[in-house]
Amino acid sequence: MPNIDRRSFLTLVGAGGVGAGAGFMLSESRKHPVEHLVPYPVPPEEFSPGIATWYNSVCSMCSAGCGISVRTREGRAKKIEGNPAHPVSQGRLCALGQSGLQALYNPDRITGPLVRAGRRGELEFDPATWEESLAELANQLELMRTAGRGGGVALLTGGVRGHLASLLELFMSWLGSDQLLHYDFNHPATLYAANERFFGESELPYYDIENSRYVLSFGADFIGHWLSPVHHGLGFGRSRQARDGIRARFVQIEPRMSLTGAAADEWIAANPGTEGILALGIARRIVDQGGYQGADLDAWRAALDGYAAESVAEQTGVAADTVARLADSFAETQPGLAIGGGATGNHSNGVDALVAVNALNHLVGNIGVEGGVIFNPPPAFGPTASRQAGLSRMLELAEDARAGRIEMLIVSNTNPVFNLPEAAGFAEALADIPQIVSLSTFLDETTAQADLVLPSHTYLESWGDDAPSPGVGFRVGAVSQPVVEPLYDTRATGDIVLELAHRMGLDLAFPWPNMEEYLKYSWREVWSSGTPDPAIPDFDTFWTSVVRAGVWGDETRAPGGEFAPDAGVVDGIGVGAPEFAGAEGEFPYALHPYLSNGLHDGRGANLPWMQELPDALTGVVYGSWIELNPVTAEELGLSEGDVVAIESPAGSIEAPVLVYPAIMPGVVAMPIGQGHEQYGRYAHEHGVNPIDVLAAQTEPGTGALAWAATRVRLVPTGGRVDLVKVGGDSRELGREIVQIADAGTPAAAGAPTVASATDAGAAVGIDVPAVGAEAAMANTRLNSIPITVVNT
Amino acid sequence: MSLIDDFLARWHEYRRPGYYEEFDYHWTMTVDLDRCTGCEACVTACQAENNTPIVGEDAIARGRHMQWMRVERYWEGEYPDVKLRAIPMFCQHCDAAPCETVCPVSATYHNQDGLNAQIYNRCIGTRSCAVYCPYEVRYFNYNNHHWDEPLDQQLNPDVSVREKGVMEKCTFCIQRIRQAKDAAKDDGRRRVQDGEVQPACVQTCPTEALVFGDRKDPDSAVSLMLGNERAYTVLEELNTDPSVVYLKKVDADAA
Amino acid sequence: MQRRHEDIKFADVNNDIVRSLVETGPRYYVTLAIAVLITLACFFFPWFYQLYYGIGAAGMNHPTVWGTYLASFIFWIGLSHSGTLLSCVLHITNSEWRKAMYRSAEAMTLFSLMVAAMMVMVHVGRPWFIHWALPYPNQMELWPNFRSPLMFDVMAITTYLTGSSIFIYMGSIPDFAAVRDRTTGWRHHMYVLLSLGWRGTDTEWHRLGWAYTFLAVLIIPLAVSVHSIVSWDFAMSIVPSLHQTIFAPYFVVGAIYSGTAGIVTVMFVLRKYMNFEHYITKVHFDNLGKLLLALSLIWTYINVVEVFTGWYSNDSAELESLRYKLFGFYAPLYWEMILFCAVAPLLLISKRFRTSFVPMLILSIAINIGMYTERFLIVGTSLSRQYLPDSWGVYVPSLVELSILVGSIAMFCTLFLVFVKIFPSVSIYEVKETLPAPDEGKTQWQATH
Ligand code: SF4
Ligand code: SF4
Ligand code: SF4
Repeated sequence: MPNIDRRSFLTLVGAGGVGAGAGFMLSESRKHPVEHLVPYPVPPEEFSPGIATWYNSVCSMCSAGCGISVRTREGRAKKIEGNPAHPVSQGRLCALGQSGLQALYNPDRITGPLVRAGRRGELEFDPATWEESLAELANQLELMRTAGRGGGVALLTGGVRGHLASLLELFMSWLGSDQLLHYDFNHPATLYAANERFFGESELPYYDIENSRYVLSFGADFIGHWLSPVHHGLGFGRSRQARDGIRARFVQIEPRMSLTGAAADEWIAANPGTEGILALGIARRIVDQGGYQGADLDAWRAALDGYAAESVAEQTGVAADTVARLADSFAETQPGLAIGGGATGNHSNGVDALVAVNALNHLVGNIGVEGGVIFNPPPAFGPTASRQAGLSRMLELAEDARAGRIEMLIVSNTNPVFNLPEAAGFAEALADIPQIVSLSTFLDETTAQADLVLPSHTYLESWGDDAPSPGVGFRVGAVSQPVVEPLYDTRATGDIVLELAHRMGLDLAFPWPNMEEYLKYSWREVWSSGTPDPAIPDFDTFWTSVVRAGVWGDETRAPGGEFAPDAGVVDGIGVGAPEFAGAEGEFPYALHPYLSNGLHDGRGANLPWMQELPDALTGVVYGSWIELNPVTAEELGLSEGDVVAIESPAGSIEAPVLVYPAIMPGVVAMPIGQGHEQYGRYAHEHGVNPIDVLAAQTEPGTGALAWAATRVRLVPTGGRVDLVKVGGDSRELGREIVQIADAGTPAAAGAPTVASATDAGAAVGIDVPAVGAEAAMANTRLNSIPITVVNT
Repeated sequence: MSLIDDFLARWHEYRRPGYYEEFDYHWTMTVDLDRCTGCEACVTACQAENNTPIVGEDAIARGRHMQWMRVERYWEGEYPDVKLRAIPMFCQHCDAAPCETVCPVSATYHNQDGLNAQIYNRCIGTRSCAVYCPYEVRYFNYNNHHWDEPLDQQLNPDVSVREKGVMEKCTFCIQRIRQAKDAAKDDGRRRVQDGEVQPACVQTCPTEALVFGDRKDPDSAVSLMLGNERAYTVLEELNTDPSVVYLKKVDADAA
Repeated sequence: MQRRHEDIKFADVNNDIVRSLVETGPRYYVTLAIAVLITLACFFFPWFYQLYYGIGAAGMNHPTVWGTYLASFIFWIGLSHSGTLLSCVLHITNSEWRKAMYRSAEAMTLFSLMVAAMMVMVHVGRPWFIHWALPYPNQMELWPNFRSPLMFDVMAITTYLTGSSIFIYMGSIPDFAAVRDRTTGWRHHMYVLLSLGWRGTDTEWHRLGWAYTFLAVLIIPLAVSVHSIVSWDFAMSIVPSLHQTIFAPYFVVGAIYSGTAGIVTVMFVLRKYMNFEHYITKVHFDNLGKLLLALSLIWTYINVVEVFTGWYSNDSAELESLRYKLFGFYAPLYWEMILFCAVAPLLLISKRFRTSFVPMLILSIAINIGMYTERFLIVGTSLSRQYLPDSWGVYVPSLVELSILVGSIAMFCTLFLVFVKIFPSVSIYEVKETLPAPDEGKTQWQATH
C-alpha cells in the first residue's frame, strides 16, 4: 500500500502544538491517497488520529482577506472558522468563507494539466504532464522574451494582493510586458478614484463602524459583499449593542433593500443613480444650518449651490423634509459615518457620487476620528500601483487581441467571460489570441476557452500572504499556509510562475525555489520594519510565530489630525444626473444587479452549500429571479413565477418574477451569480447571468463598468416556473415571533458583548474564546508575536 | 382543598423537565435580534459542522431542506415603509419539550445538561416529534444523502452521518460540548468554564448576535444576556420553556 | 320479515353457507387473483421501493411530515370500529337483525386492523426497527416511552386486535363445527382444529353464550378507547387545530360512522356475490341506514363545533388553520367531505332510500370517501399551517402514496376474499335462531312476530 514515502506528504516544520511553525514540504504532487481512514502511511509527527489540528491561514473567497483557522483531522480539512487573532475577521467568518472547503473538495476540480484537443470551447482536452506543459510553455515564453515580443504576453488574474502580486509584477517585467491586469467584478475602482480625488490618496480607508453612532450608507451593502463584510458585521453588532446607552443608527439609501438595508433602522429608496445628489442635498443642508465652519466655507457654499432641498427632492424622489431630517440627525449624532459604494459607485456618475459621500464625512468632521473614516497606512507589502482593470481597460485588452497584439493570454483565477457583459465582446476577442493558458482550479467559462490548462491549487493548499484592504487602520499582514496535502496533480500559482521563470533561465532574478521560500525571503523586510522585540531574536522565530498565528500587525494608527481637501476639490464637487443605457420610454425599468448573498459574483456557484443557502432576503435557492415591486408586478399583471424576458439595449435573458416588497417601483433587481454554462455540476444550468444584458457602460473617470446603469423592459413570455424557495409565508400575522422593543428601551444599556474587548485599541488582541483546547493550541493571540501596540 | 393547594404549589416540581433533580449544566443560547442581520453565516457554519446533507434542488422544491438552522424572514408594512424582521430559528431545547413526550421509543430525550438530545440509532422515524415541535426545527431524512466525492472528505468525524428514516435537528453542537467537558476533565477541572464551548453558529456569527453558555453560572455571558430587559422567548404562550432566549429587536423609530 | 327469509329451512342455512365455503366458481378465483395482483403491484412493490429509497418516495416534506399513510391508518382503524363494536353493542341490546351481518362486520374489524398495522409499517421511517416500540425485556434495559400517545396507540391497538380476534373466533366455533361435519379432506382437518372439539352440548352453548357476552361487554369500552387514543396522537400535540378536547369523541363517532358505512358496502357485496340475498335483507339496510343517519348528524354537529371553537378562539394560529382548511389549498376536499358526510346522508331520512340497495351502496362508498378525506385533512391542513408562518408548506401525496392507498384497499379485499372461504361469513347458528324451528313451522314464526 504505501507507494508514497513520507517526504511526499505534509510534513510540518515543527509542530502546531509543540510550538514550531507549521508548513508543508512541497514535493511532487501525488494522486490523492484518500481511501484510507488515516491518509498517511507514515503520519507527520504532530499528527495523532482523533485529535484535530488547526492551521491559521487567509480566506481567499473574496477580497476582504479575513484570517481563518482551519480545523483538520487525519490530514483532511474539516471546518473553516475565523482566526480570532486576525483583526479583520476576529474569529468570525461569512457563509462564503466557510464554504472554501467545498472549493477544496469540489468534485469538479481539474485534476491535472490539460491540453486542448478539440476546437476551442468544446471542452475536449487531453491530459498532459507538468513536465511537458511547463517545458513547452517556458520555451515559448523564453523565445518571445528573447525576441523582444514579451509584450505580447498578457497576464490576467483575479484580485491578487500581497507577494503573489509582486511576484507576478516581477515576472511580467522580466518578460517585458505591461499587460498585467487584475479583473475582479466587485473591485471598487470608483471608490479608489473618489478617495484619490477627495483625500488625495488612492486607498481604501477604514470605516470605523464599531465606534460610530450614525452610519449613513449610500448603496454600500457593507454587510453583504461590500469590501469586508465580516469586519463590518462585527462593527455593526458592536455599534448597536455593546456600548452603554449608545446604539448606533443605520440609514441605508438604495433603490432595492439589500441585506444591509434590511438590518438598518431606516431604508430610503432614492431614484437609482441619484444617491450622490442626495448626499450633496444633505451636505448643503448641513452647511446651511451652520454645521460646517471650515475656512473654505464659501467654496462649499458655492459648490453646493445647486443642491437645494427642493431640487434634490425632485431628482432623487426623496422628500425634502427627509433630506433635512437626515442632514440634521447626521450632523447631530457624532461620530457618524457616511459610506458610499455598490450601485451608487457603479453608475455613470459613480466617482462624483462617492466624492459627495466623502464630502459628507468631511463636513461633519468625521475624518481621522474614532467612529469615522480612518486612513489606512499603505499596505504592509505588495505592489502599490493598482493593476485593477475596469471595463475600459478590458476593452483595450480585447482591442489589442483583435489587433493581433496579444500572442498569449495567461488567465489565472478570474472569469471575465462570465463576469464581463456580453456587449463588451471579450469572449469573442479571445478567439483572436493564438494561445490561451489558464491557471485555474475549475473549468469555468474562461478556462473552457484555454489551449493549455495548468490547474492551480486552491488557497487551502498553497502558500501565500495578504495585506488586507481595506485594512483596519493599521498595518496588517497575514500568511496563508497549506492546510492539507494537495489533493490532485495541481500546483500553486506562485510555484508555477517560479518554475516557468527557472525554466526560462531567469534563476538569478528568481532565486527562490518555491513560493514558500519567496515568502520567507520577502517577509524579512516585514520583520525588519517592525519594532525590534527581544523575545524575537531572529527571523526564523518571527516567521514561525507569524505562520502559527496566521497574522502579523503593527497597531500604530496614523495620527488623526486635521484634514482639509484641496481647494480645487471642493470646487469640483457636484453630481450630474445619471446616464443610463437605454431610453426611458423604450426601457422603462432601471436594472439593479446585485451580488448574491452566497454566490458573490458567481464564484460561489460551484459550492453546493452556497447554492443551497437560502437567499438572505427571498429564500430562493438554486436559481435566478427578477424582483419587482408589488405595484409594478400588478401593473404588468405578473405574479411570482411568471417568466419574463428582460430586454436591454445589449441583450435579453429570461427569468421568473419574484414580487419583492422593498424595491422602488421603477427599478427591477436581479442577483448576480447564477447562469453558468461551465463551472461544474453544481453551477451550470441554474438561472441566468444578469451581467449578460448589461450595456458596456462605464463610469467615464475610471473606465469601471457602470453595472447599475442599464435600463430594461420586461416582456412576459407566458411561461411559469415554481421558484425553489425555502420558507413559507412571510407575514407574521401578529404572532409576535420577532418582538420589537421600542426606542424607549435604553438601547444597549448593560448589554454585554460576546467578546470581552470591544474598544478599538484592543480590537486586535480580541479575546474571543477559542473552541476547545485544541483550538487554543493553534489559535495564538496576536500579542504573542512581534507587534508594537500603540493605542490610538 | 389543601390537597389541591399543595398540588398547585408543587406544580412546578411535578413538571420537572426530563426527570432530573438538577441539571449539571444548563446550556442556553441567546439571540440578539438587534444585532442579527440575517446574513446566514450561521446556517453554513452549522451545515459544515454537523454534516447536514446537500439535498439538491428537487428536494428543496419539495420542501425537504435539511439545514438545522434557518433564518426566518417576516416582512412588515408596504413600500416604502417596509421592514424585514429576520429571526434565526433552531431547536429551542425546550425544558418542557413536546417532542420528547411523543417519541414512542425515547429517541429524543432530555439529557443532564438541559439539552434536547436526539439518538439517531434509536429513531424509528415516526416523525411525531416533528409534528409536536411547534418551532418546526426537526428535519427528517427522507432518503439517504450522498456527497459527491471528494466532498465527503470534509465530513466532520465527530458527528455521525444520518441514514434514511431518521429525524435530526440542532444539537447545540453536542460534540463540542463533549470535547470541552473532556478537556476540562483532562485539565483536572470539574466544570467547563464560560466561553470554552461555542456551537458552530455562535462561533461564526459576524455580528456576535449569538451567545452561548451555561445558565447555571451566574457570571456567564449568557446569564448576563438573560438579564437583559429585551429578553423573550418565541411562542412563550405554549409553555415549552425554551433554552433559546431572544433579545427583542429595537425599533429606533417606534414610539 | 321478508317472505324469502321465512321460507328458509334450517338445512338450507347449512347448505347455503357450506356451499359458500366449498363451492368455488371461477369468478371467485379471478377476483382473488386480481385482488392479489393489485395488492402486490400497488402495495408491496411501491412499499419495497420506499424501503429501498426512504420515506422520500412519499410526498411528505418539512412542515407536513405526516401524510396519507397516517390518514390511511386512522381510516382503517376507523373502519375497524364498525364491526366488533357494532356487533357487541347489538349483541348486548339483543338486536335480532345483527345476526346475519355481524360475522362479516367483525371480519372487517380484523382485517382493517391488520391493514392499519401495515400502514404503520409503511408510515415509519425505519420499519425494520418497529419492534422497538414494543415493551419487551432486553439486555439494554431500553423501554419504550410510556408517556407517548403513540405508545398508548401500540397498546390499544394490539389489545383491540387481540380482543376482536378472540371475539370473532369464539363466535365462529359452533359454525366451524357445523362445517367440520359437512366437509371432507383437508377442509375437514382444518375445521377439526378450528372447532376445538365443539360438540354442541348445552354446557358448551351456555359457556359460549356467557363468554361471548362477557367479551362483548369488554370490547365496547376498549373500542371506544382505541379510537380516543388514536385521536390523542393528534390532540396531545400543540399543533393549532389538532390540539382539541373534542378530538376523542370526534374520532370515535367518525370511526363508527365510517365503519357502519363500510358494513353497508360489504353487506351489499356479500349479498350480491355470495348469494346471501335471503339472509341479508332490506331490514338490515334499513336499520343500518337509520344508524348512519344518526351518526352523520352527530358527526356534523362535532364538525360545526370544531369550526366554531376555532373561530371563537380568535387566536391567530387557530384562525389561520381554520381558514386554510375551509378556503385554502385543500378547500375542495373539505367541501367534498361536507357534501359526502354531512349533506348526502340526509337522504337517509327517506325509508325508500334506506331500503334501496344500490343507492345505499353508493352512499356508503361516498361516506367512506368523505371520511378518508376527513382524515387526510386532519393531517394535511393542520401540519401545513402551524405557528411559524415562514415554515408553512403544502403537501401533495406522491404516486407511491396513492398507489399504496389503492393497494391497501386491495389487500383488505384479498384478506376478505380468503376469509369468506374459511369462515362462514354469515353466522350459521345465529341465523338459525332467527328462523322458525324446523318442527314448528311458519305459524309459530309468524306468531312471534
Ligand atoms: S468576507 Fe470574504 S474573506 Fe471574509 S470570510 Fe467571507 S469570503 Fe472570506
Ligand atoms: S450569522 Fe449571526 S447575524 Fe448572521 S444570520 Fe446568523 S445570527 Fe444573524
Ligand atoms: S424546539 Fe422543537 S425539537 Fe427542540 S426541544 Fe423544543 S419541541 Fe423539541
